[in-house]
Amino acid sequence: MFDLLQKAVDSAISSGAAYSDARILNSKSRSISARNGDVEDFNQSESIGIGIRALVGSSWGFYSTYDLSDKSLVNAGLKAHNIAKASAKVPGKEFPLADVPIVEDEYTTPHEKNPFKVSSTDQINLLVKSTEEMKKNGSSHASGRLDFWDTEKWFFSSQGHKIYQNIVESGGGISSLSIGDGETQIRSYPQSFGEYRTGGWEVIESFKFENEVERLAEESKRLLTAPQCPEGTRDLILEGSQLALQIHESVGHAIELDRILGWEAAYAGASHLDLNKLNKHKYGSKLMNIIADATLPGALATFKYDDEGTPAQRVNIVEEGIWKGVLTGRDSAAIAGVSPGGMVRADGYGRIPMVRMTNVGLLPGNSSLDEIIEATDDGVYMETNRSWSIDDIRLNFQFGCEAGWLVKNGKITDMVKNPTYTGITPNFWASMDMLAGEDEWVFWGTPNCGKGQPGQVGHTGHPASPARFKNVRIGVKG
Amino acid sequence: MKYWNQFLEEAKKHIPKSIDCEIKMISSTNSLTRFANSHIHQNVEEEVADIYLTVHKDDKTITLNSNITSIDSPKSLIDKALAEVENSPNDTGWAGMPESDSSFNSYKEIEPKNPEERAGKVKDFIEVGKDFNAAGYCSTSVDHYFVWNTNGLESSDSTTSAFIDGIFRTETSSGSSHRGGTSLEDIDSETAGIEAFKLAKDSQNPKDIDPGKYEVVLGPEAVSTILVFLGVYGFNARSKIEGTSPIQMNSQQFDEKLTLIDDPHRDKSLGFKIDASGAPKKTLEIVKDGVPKSLFHTRRTAKELNEDNTFHELFGWGDSFGGIGTNIYLNPGSSTKEDMISAVERGIYINEFWYCRVLDPITQVVTGLNRNGSFLIENGKITKPVGRLRFTQSFIASLAAGNVISLGSESRFADSEFGEGILNVPMLHLKEFNFTGGVSG
Repeated sequence: MFDLLQKAVDSAISSGAAYSDARILNSKSRSISARNGDVEDFNQSESIGIGIRALVGSSWGFYSTYDLSDKSLVNAGLKAHNIAKASAKVPGKEFPLADVPIVEDEYTTPHEKNPFKVSSTDQINLLVKSTEEMKKNGSSHASGRLDFWDTEKWFFSSQGHKIYQNIVESGGGISSLSIGDGETQIRSYPQSFGEYRTGGWEVIESFKFENEVERLAEESKRLLTAPQCPEGTRDLILEGSQLALQIHESVGHAIELDRILGWEAAYAGASHLDLNKLNKHKYGSKLMNIIADATLPGALATFKYDDEGTPAQRVNIVEEGIWKGVLTGRDSAAIAGVSPGGMVRADGYGRIPMVRMTNVGLLPGNSSLDEIIEATDDGVYMETNRSWSIDDIRLNFQFGCEAGWLVKNGKITDMVKNPTYTGITPNFWASMDMLAGEDEWVFWGTPNCGKGQPGQVGHTGHPASPARFKNVRIGVKG
Repeated sequence: MKYWNQFLEEAKKHIPKSIDCEIKMISSTNSLTRFANSHIHQNVEEEVADIYLTVHKDDKTITLNSNITSIDSPKSLIDKALAEVENSPNDTGWAGMPESDSSFNSYKEIEPKNPEERAGKVKDFIEVGKDFNAAGYCSTSVDHYFVWNTNGLESSDSTTSAFIDGIFRTETSSGSSHRGGTSLEDIDSETAGIEAFKLAKDSQNPKDIDPGKYEVVLGPEAVSTILVFLGVYGFNARSKIEGTSPIQMNSQQFDEKLTLIDDPHRDKSLGFKIDASGAPKKTLEIVKDGVPKSLFHTRRTAKELNEDNTFHELFGWGDSFGGIGTNIYLNPGSSTKEDMISAVERGIYINEFWYCRVLDPITQVVTGLNRNGSFLIENGKITKPVGRLRFTQSFIASLAAGNVISLGSESRFADSEFGEGILNVPMLHLKEFNFTGGVSG
C-alpha cells in the first residue's frame, strides 16, 4: 500500500505542492438494529480508497477516489495540487507545518474478540432478546443497536512517514420508549445513542444488557406519571454520561484551535476562547482538570498516530480551573505557536483531516456519587442525555436529560420527568464543587460528532465521573 | 454508466431465480471550496462509486454496501450476500420491490465544475464585504443513481447542485446568507454577499433584551429549520407508526395560510426524482390551507399502515428511518420584508436559527438559538440589533391557526438544521415565539 501512496504523493510534489500526504483506508462496518424483538436493519459495508492532501501557498487541496490504479493515483496527486492551486484566486498568508517526528510504525487496537469474527447471529440475538424483554416489560417501543468498525489505515507523507494502523471499535445500546397521553418518555443504557469504545465484542459483553432491560422499561413507564421537573435555581448533580456530553459541547469544541482561528466560523461556529488568554482564563473551579488524551486504553478516541502522523499524546487542557491547552493540527499549531498535539483525524478516506477531539475528559475528584447526594440539601440528580443545544461560540447551553430525581436533605426522593438545565459555560464550570473519584470514572464515547464541510462524523471519547454544580437554572419549559 | 452496465450484466448471471434481489449504485463527484478569514483555506473533491446489494430469500433479508474497489467481482458480492442472508432473522416487514412499469430513466453525462469556477464565486462573495471577515463555502456536485431489481425495474437519474453559504463577521456581530440551485451559473454569490455583509454591519454592538414571548419575523433559513423538523419527525410515516408524530391528519392543525407541497418534479427542484427503491417520487400536497393531508412513505411504512407508497425512501439509510420529503415548497404569500417589519409593534427579526434540538417529539418543543443577524423591531421599525437568545418553543404551536400573520412574497432554497436544498420557502411573520434565555443564561 505504501507504494501506491507514494505514487500519489510524488505526483502532488512534482506538480509543485510544498507538502503532501495521503491515506489509504480499508474500512469494514457492521450495523444491526432491532425493535420490539424484530431485527430492523442488518447492514454491512466495505470500502477501499485513497485521500490525498496537497499544500500550495495558503490552502490545502484534497482529492479522494476509490480508484487505486496507477494512472488514477498519479491523477489524484495532480488533482490535489490543482485544487489547492485554484485557491490562489482568493489567497491568504502562507504558513508552515509544525515539526513532528517522522516515523515508520504500526499499531493495532488491543482487542480480545474481533467483532467481525463473532457470529452475526449471536449479535442479532442479543438485540432481539433485549428488545423482546423490554417490550414484555411494558415498553411501547423497545429498540437496540450495535455498531462495529474495523479500519485499516496506511499513511504516507512527503516527509517520509510510513504508518499502518488497524483501529477496531465496538458499541451500542438499548432503549425503552413509553408513549403516554401526548408525550413520550425514554430510558437508555449505557447512555443515549449507545456507548462506544475501541475494542472488540468484549466491549458489548461488558455492558450486560440483560441486567438492565427490566429497569429501563419500568423507568420509562414511570416517567409518564412522574411530576415535571420543578423550575428554579438549585444544586444539580450530573451522572457521568451526561457530564461527558457537557464536556464535549462546552469544553471539547471550544478548545479546537481551528475554531478559535475562525476556520469553522461559518458552520460549526467559533469559540469564546481567545488565545491571548491562554494560561490566564478561568474556565472553572479548582476541581476542573481537563485532559485530551489519545492514549487511554479502550477509550473511543485512542490510537497511536493521528491522520497527520503525529504521535498520540496527553495534553493538559484545563488545570485547576485555568485554561492551559488547545486541540491542534500541524497547520493550526504552527500558526498559533503551540505544540502539535496529534488531534487531527478524518472521517474515512474521502474527507480532509481536521482537528478533532481525542479523549477529552475531566480527571476524577475524590468524592463519590453517594457522598455527593448525602451532601446535597436541595437539588436534582439527572441521568442520560435527551437533548443538547449550545450556541456557536460554546457559551450558552441547554441540556435535557431522560430522567431526574429530587434530592432532599441528602436523600434521593421523587423521580421527575423532562429535566432540563441551562447555563453559561464558565459560570457553570466555576460552580462545580464536588466530583466523584476514580472508581466511578468511565471512558464515555461519542460516535456521532458532526463537524466540517463537507460534513464529517467523528468518534470522540470523554472520561467523566458524576459531579455537583451549585445554583444552576433547571426546569426550563417551552 | 459503463461500470454499472458491466456490473449488472455480470451480476444477473449469478442471481438465483427464486430470490428477490435489488442492486443500486450511486456515483458522485462532490466538490467544495471553503473559505475563512476571507481567503480559501480548504478545497476538496471526492469521487464516489458505491454498490448496494439487497437479497431477500426465504423471508430473510440482507443488504451489503461496498465501494466498487472493494468488490472482487459481482459474483463474489452475490455469493457473500447469499451466504450471510442465512444468518439473518425473518424479516416480517419486507414489502417487496417496485415493478418494471415504475422504471424511470434520466441518466445524463455531466461534466463536474472545476475549482477555478467555485473560487470565482467565492471571490464575488468576499469582495463585497470590504474589511469584514468572511467565511463559508461554495459547493458543486454531480450525482448519478442506478437501480435494478428482479421484478424487472431498471431506473437511472442524474442531478446537479450548487450552493454558496457564507457569513461576514465583525468583533461584535455576524451576518449570513445562502443561495442554492441546480447549476453554479444560477448562483448569485455577489447578492448573497451583499445580504450577509449588511446583516453583519447592521447587527454590530447588539443589546441584550429580556427573554419572553415576542412577535417574530423569520428569514428563510429560520423558516426552513422549523419546517425541516416537521418534515423529518412529523410527516414521516415511521413516526406515525411509532406514535411519536405530532401530526393530526385532516384537522386544522396549522394556520390556513400555510400550504406545503413536496414536488421533486418541479423545474429546478434539487435531487433525484426517484427514491431509493428506483420508482418516481410522488408529488404530494402535505398541508393544504393548514390541514395535514399526506405523510411521507416508504415501501415498508406504506405496507404497515396499508396506505399507498409515496416513494420517499432515502438513499443510503435503508428504509428503517422512514420517508422524508426532500423537495418541500412552502407556498409564498404577498408580503414584502418591509411590510412584515412595519406590521410589528414589538418583536424580533431572526435571520437564522442554530443548534435546534427536540425536547419531545409529540409536542415538538424544540430549543435552539438565533445567530447571524437579529434585530429588535419596535413600532414597525428595526430599532437595534439584539444578542443571543435561547428559545424553547413548540414548532407545531408556532405554525398553529392564528399564529401566522403573513408570508413573504418571495421564496428561495434555504439552508436548514438538517441541510440545504430540501426546502424552498419565503419569510414568515409569527404572532408569538417563546424565548427562554438570554446572554446571561
